[in-house]
Amino acid sequence: MKPLIKIALFVIFFLTIAGIGAALYLLKMGHKDLKNVVPDFIISASDLQRTFEDNESEATVKYVNKILEVNGIVESASPGEANVLNVTLKTSNNFSSIICTFPSAIDSHLFTPDTQVKIRGECSGFLMDVLLNNCVLIK
Amino acid sequence: MKRLSVILLLLNLVVATSAQKYMTKNGYVGFFSHTAIEDIKADNNQAVSVFDTASGEMVLQVLIKSFHFEKALMEEHFNENYMESDKFPKSVFKGKITNPASVDFSKPGKYDVTVEGDLNIHDVTKKISVRGTIEVIKGGINATSKFNIVPEDYKITIPGVVRDNIAKNLEVTVSLKYSPVENK
Repeated sequence: MKPLIKIALFVIFFLTIAGIGAALYLLKMGHKDLKNVVPDFIISASDLQRTFEDNESEATVKYVNKILEVNGIVESASPGEANVLNVTLKTSNNFSSIICTFPSAIDSHLFTPDTQVKIRGECSGFLMDVLLNNCVLIK
Repeated sequence: MKRLSVILLLLNLVVATSAQKYMTKNGYVGFFSHTAIEDIKADNNQAVSVFDTASGEMVLQVLIKSFHFEKALMEEHFNENYMESDKFPKSVFKGKITNPASVDFSKPGKYDVTVEGDLNIHDVTKKISVRGTIEVIKGGINATSKFNIVPEDYKITIPGVVRDNIAKNLEVTVSLKYSPVENK
């Protein structure tokens, strides 16, 4: 076999293995840890809620799928199904809050009602509240 | 128009405050797919639901983007390719318990119920009838149900290359922990 063909076969073999490896890595990859991600927006809980309430479609374009760092005061924290913790932040609207879902076991005692927190999460949109997922506690 | 009517229905149920109205904003809706190739599970803990014990009426709403998968790429495909969640961001169920009189909401206990109504997913509405359990507890009501749906019934197209990875029937689990609606 000519050396050139040998090299070509080796390159094809190497690229195939690398391609399969990359595909498997992407398929198995979990969610990124938002502690290590620069947020797209830093905003208070009340301002975020008000933006969605005033104009949901504009707020959706601006915030949904973005990483938000939200400052607010804890209203409540309650465990959900599948080992998650839901933390609700107060806003200036008594009927609408920011609901932050933490995907893994996190100590609910970190979220004593009326304490100030800073939470980073990915904005999913608005139902009666603004919803954040994949959340991490920053402070 | 459809969306406005859902919001009005929710508001109507919420604003008319009395001991008959119950609500949750942290309801659970999950689905599970089992095939020989892989198991797929997604969880959503941000369902909003309002339940009127007098009429048996129930409204449940979820954001599609709030479904959480273990694998990030799977979640991305679910949103972008299958559910088109930018175009159809919400899924809504509007229905009622067919036998509310058989449940004594003043007495703690478990009751089997049947819920019938319209389920809208991916902008397709289908009538469904599912069995569930209502558990009356001190200070609240827990409602649970398990039922199956077929993605193709809701015009969710799954590419042939991964069709064998996803079950024909998805098992849906709903778990709602209602509290009485009260004025803040």
